[in-house]
Amino acid sequence: MRLLIIEDYRPLQQSLTKGLREAGFAVDTTRDGKEGLWYAMGNEYDVIILDLMLPGMDGLEILKKIRTQGRKSHVLILTARDTVQDRVTGLNLGADDYLVKPFAFKELLARVHALLRRGYRQKNPRIKVKDLKIDLSRQRVCRGKKEIQLTPREYALLEYLAMRLGQTISRTDIWEHIYDFNSSASSNVVDVYIGYLRKKIEQPNKPRLIHTIRGRGYVLGVQS
Amino acid sequence: MSRSLRIRLLTGIIGGMILLLTLFSLLIYIVIRSTLIKQFDKSLASVAQILAASVEIDVNEIEFEFEVQQMPEFLNSDHPTHYQLWDPNGTVISKSPLLGADNLLRLEGTLNALVFDTSRNNNGQPLRTISLKFLPRLADNNEKNKNEAQKDYRSPENKQEFTLAVARDAGDLYGQLGFLRWLLLIASAAVIALSFILAAVIVKKGLRPLNSIAAEIATIKEDSLTTRITTEDVPTEVVQIKNRLNELLSRLEASFNRERQFNADVAHELRTPLSGLRSTIEVTLTRTRDNDEYKRVLFECEAIVENMQTMVGNLLMLSRLDAKQISFQTEQIRLAELVNSCWQQFSDKALERQITFDNSIEAEYMCESDRHNLSIVLSNILANAVEYTDEGGQIRTTACSKDGSMEIAVSNTGCQLTTEQLSQVFDCFWRGDLSRSDTGTHCGLGLALVQKLIRALGGNAFAELQPGGIFVVRITLPE
Repeated sequence: MRLLIIEDYRPLQQSLTKGLREAGFAVDTTRDGKEGLWYAMGNEYDVIILDLMLPGMDGLEILKKIRTQGRKSHVLILTARDTVQDRVTGLNLGADDYLVKPFAFKELLARVHALLRRGYRQKNPRIKVKDLKIDLSRQRVCRGKKEIQLTPREYALLEYLAMRLGQTISRTDIWEHIYDFNSSASSNVVDVYIGYLRKKIEQPNKPRLIHTIRGRGYVLGVQS
Repeated sequence: MSRSLRIRLLTGIIGGMILLLTLFSLLIYIVIRSTLIKQFDKSLASVAQILAASVEIDVNEIEFEFEVQQMPEFLNSDHPTHYQLWDPNGTVISKSPLLGADNLLRLEGTLNALVFDTSRNNNGQPLRTISLKFLPRLADNNEKNKNEAQKDYRSPENKQEFTLAVARDAGDLYGQLGFLRWLLLIASAAVIALSFILAAVIVKKGLRPLNSIAAEIATIKEDSLTTRITTEDVPTEVVQIKNRLNELLSRLEASFNRERQFNADVAHELRTPLSGLRSTIEVTLTRTRDNDEYKRVLFECEAIVENMQTMVGNLLMLSRLDAKQISFQTEQIRLAELVNSCWQQFSDKALERQITFDNSIEAEYMCESDRHNLSIVLSNILANAVEYTDEGGQIRTTACSKDGSMEIAVSNTGCQLTTEQLSQVFDCFWRGDLSRSDTGTHCGLGLALVQKLIRALGGNAFAELQPGGIFVVRITLPE
């Protein structure tokens, strides 16, 4: 899952970026409003975490531009302004959530997860494909009774496949949602990680769950 | 003066009424009384004059020419008129039969100067008396000297004045005057009582606009300061009060709004570093990390806390300045030295950004002020200058004496403010250049503090923009 953080207060921006990356997200980050808008316009982010008082361009202005351009990213406003009017203005301009500073990092993380589920119409935080269980909130994966240990990148890949369960997802899509802007990896790396994931998930006498659709991409699910 | 306006108006009106009515009643009474008495006296005088003219002297006898005793008015016992005649020696020669044993007053009047007096007879009836001295007419008589031994009233040595007194019962007159007195008293009292009722109604009606305005004011609470007194149809005198009140409300509202905005700004400015602190700590605690990383995070947190502390200190100082809780100790200060010592804390940062600092204040230049607070002022101006000077730019300080006050100017290059923004630089939480990513390090209190502090020190602070992007802060201090 790919996130964008637009926050001008350096300590907050750095800790958020670090925390969210450690939570398995691909995170782009900037402290300038105009730069933030440029990022938001150029990429399909799953969630944008947006501060309101920003140098360069006001947060609400960015939100308006994103929405008029038809970007589907979920926007979580993160601000010290806490009046009802501020919240209402933000939500009415197309924000999906509103969190007032100071906040607990856990809450932010939970809200980001909630926004992701909403984005992929996955109400249930526990996704089940046959006997493969993915707990999105605790980031744990089991096949049958056995827990499977995944690296953050592998987990991010599986999570993205699980969010779009049954849909064929192109390599570019996967690459865009798993890797941040500064990553030097190319979309070929997706094939490599699919291979790693298969090794850990697929079991010899059980049905295959990750399928390759030639020329189009991958799909997670039970093939009929 | 705690009496109500209503009672004051009522007392004024009623008091005035009582005074005027008393004066008018007295005047009317005096005029009527003197007229009535004058009339009475006139008729009395004419009777006396007739009587006096009718007295005749014979050689040794004195008598009335007419049978005055028989005149009806001397015989009417209800409202009798009396007369009494004395010879020059004071012997009673004649008097009304009705008088009986009583005597009339013997007064010293003449025909030209009549004398009146009022007395009471035995029955307690008022008796108005006129008395006059006169020379009786000589009788035209040929019987002479019948008896030489008799007193000859006609002899020249006996040419003395007789005294006549005429009195009439004045009961009716005084009765009428008494009635008049009562009439005036009762009429006045009635008028006063009626006017009291009328005045109470008028005053109540007249004060109604005040009451309605008071009722409107009573509904205004501190959370409804946007409301104004709208009562229409107020008297012109109250319009002034209404307008002033509305102006006062506007000022109050503005000041409440400023206060609210200030509090919101304070909350905002404190929340930002707090959220940084919290998030830094929480993210660090999500997993076990090595010592170096913990150390680095602690340093970060320390820096945040230091910034917060500076800000809280500035806020505290601002509020103390507002409450005038700061005392000053003036002393002679070498200004150039003070500026240099204030600059020290910024020299590293200036070096890093290749900013040159030029302190052009003469080493011998002395000023008298509070050293600690003046250094806070100078530090804040310099901090601001270092922050906003362009890389490789210049900061310059000068000082001079001007019109009995001392002026210190700090100028820096690289200013990007517009003339319109210039008026805002001393506002709390105002940051001129939002394109700089330094949130949390500068919260826009420095120059606000400078202005408040320098004003408390008896001077003032100004900001100006000079061509070439040079920003100048000038502070004046009394010499």
